[in-house]
Amino acid sequence: MLLTLKRKYREELLAASFLWPSLLILVALLIYPLIDVVRLSFHDSNLQREVWVGFGNYIALANDPLFWRAFWQTVVFTFFSVLLHLVIGLGLALLLNMNLDPAFRTVARGLLIVPWLLAPTVAGMIWVLMLQPFGVLNGLLASLGIIDTNSTISWLGDPSTALGSVTAMNVWRAFPFFMVMLLAGLQAIPKQLYEAAEIDGASLFRQFWHITLPQLRSVITTIVLLDSIWTFRAFDPVYVMTGGGPAHSSEVLATAIYFDGFQKLKFGYASAEAVVMFIVLFIVSAIYVRRTMSNQQ
Amino acid sequence: MTVALPGAAAHPRPYLGRIGTRGRERLINLAAYLMLLVAIAIVFFPLAWMLTVSVRPNIEVMRMPPEWLPQVFTLEGYRKIFASKRYLVVFLNTMVVSLVVTALSLVLGAMAAYALARFKFAGQRAVLMFLITTQMFPLVLLCIPYFRIFITLGLYDTRTSLIVVYLTFTLPFCILMLRSYFINIPRDIEEAAMVDGCSRLGAIFRTLVPMSYPAFIGAGLYTFLLAWNEFLFAVVLIESWENRVLTMAIYSLMAEFVTDWNTMMAFSVLASLPLVMAFIFLQKFMVQGMTAGALTS
Repeated sequence: MLLTLKRKYREELLAASFLWPSLLILVALLIYPLIDVVRLSFHDSNLQREVWVGFGNYIALANDPLFWRAFWQTVVFTFFSVLLHLVIGLGLALLLNMNLDPAFRTVARGLLIVPWLLAPTVAGMIWVLMLQPFGVLNGLLASLGIIDTNSTISWLGDPSTALGSVTAMNVWRAFPFFMVMLLAGLQAIPKQLYEAAEIDGASLFRQFWHITLPQLRSVITTIVLLDSIWTFRAFDPVYVMTGGGPAHSSEVLATAIYFDGFQKLKFGYASAEAVVMFIVLFIVSAIYVRRTMSNQQ
Repeated sequence: MTVALPGAAAHPRPYLGRIGTRGRERLINLAAYLMLLVAIAIVFFPLAWMLTVSVRPNIEVMRMPPEWLPQVFTLEGYRKIFASKRYLVVFLNTMVVSLVVTALSLVLGAMAAYALARFKFAGQRAVLMFLITTQMFPLVLLCIPYFRIFITLGLYDTRTSLIVVYLTFTLPFCILMLRSYFINIPRDIEEAAMVDGCSRLGAIFRTLVPMSYPAFIGAGLYTFLLAWNEFLFAVVLIESWENRVLTMAIYSLMAEFVTDWNTMMAFSVLASLPLVMAFIFLQKFMVQGMTAGALTS
């Protein structure tokens, strides 16, 4: 009895000594700043001075049309990015899962992943180049006769197309993640399900609807949740391609926080924005964590 | 690996009866190959454009209609980069930061992962939940406190600050991924080594570590990729050119010479090359890392 007790403590001690370096680092790097940013959100601060203003920043935020604009644009950007990631990723995963030559499958999958390996900054730069008024996209459209050579579109300079252009780049950049995850999911579906459906004479579409989709449901939910979180907090694509402009037409929360903090030096206000963003993400994260943890049991 | 093509069984449909099951299967397969090739062409177009622009003179870049192939081949862009210490130091910085972050994350991550995989202790569930949540933290939230903290500590504008900060997202990922790998390795193997006279640490190094090499390669590559591509913290925490990393340098190049597209694209090609090369050789491990990273269960 005594021996087992002692053994148990020794184990706990060993576990603790392996764990504490990482935990200490993460608490210092995540929890402390989180507390600090919440504290700062109740102050008027430009780094030199700090004045307590209570909920002043939050009230100003609620009445700031630019904040709400950035908020809804973030939602739109996230919704269309995730939706198109899913549609394109699923389509390509289904194609790659067909009865192809294994070598071709490996090469095709490898090639299709490449955009996801690039830094979002680099991907953004390539698209900035392509989307110039005299860039290759307009050239392509002009040579197809869709637009006139003299009336080219400034994709990133026009408020009506800026957010869409950034979304397009983000779709191109990140669909491979969905493709890889869904392909792994497809390959885990037992073939017998399809064989049985075949004997019952189910059409391809019915097989997809009644077997493939239900079997993929858990993977889809997971990656949609994850990608929503990642896209909602995205900074690089917008900052690199448009800086949120023109006239805030592609502003998202992450870039708005950056500009309010580091350009306008309104650190308290930016902190309040960050706290609002955190609360939104925390709700989605909680759903994700619940799912992941219940899978673990 | 390959799931049989749904619909390829022994019951020819009346409406497709004339070409027979074989012919129908071939037709569907041919369509799959074609569609994948088209997808690859579309996905690769921006990358191909980056490559061709990097080897043309700048006057050719914005021509309307576009020249699909360079009319004049020049390595001027690459020459500019290799001739300048200013650019080379950026590559060196990025390499050093990414390698140190990867090494730290793997060592600390493996220790924590071992504790979580092998021991039962109070608060284990809470630790796991915390680790999963950290992957969803809005990083822009941390910028303001980090900026303040590093100024206070005198670490603002140093590569050290980047290394420390990158651990916030690389360390939890490494812990979760290695843990899910360790759990699937039977503990009997370590116990057998301990019966043979190894200490626990000796047993870990002789059995668990060598057996988990795919997880280490996968997690290591993914961590390296994340560090190499990071942008937000590099913008906020680094001021002087000597301490810049690639993503930030490319972005400031865009602001510096708006029209020097061939140098910028050459820079982009060089920045992407290490990752693409690593991926070509280690595709299998990296896809594992990507899949495990999202579905750590």
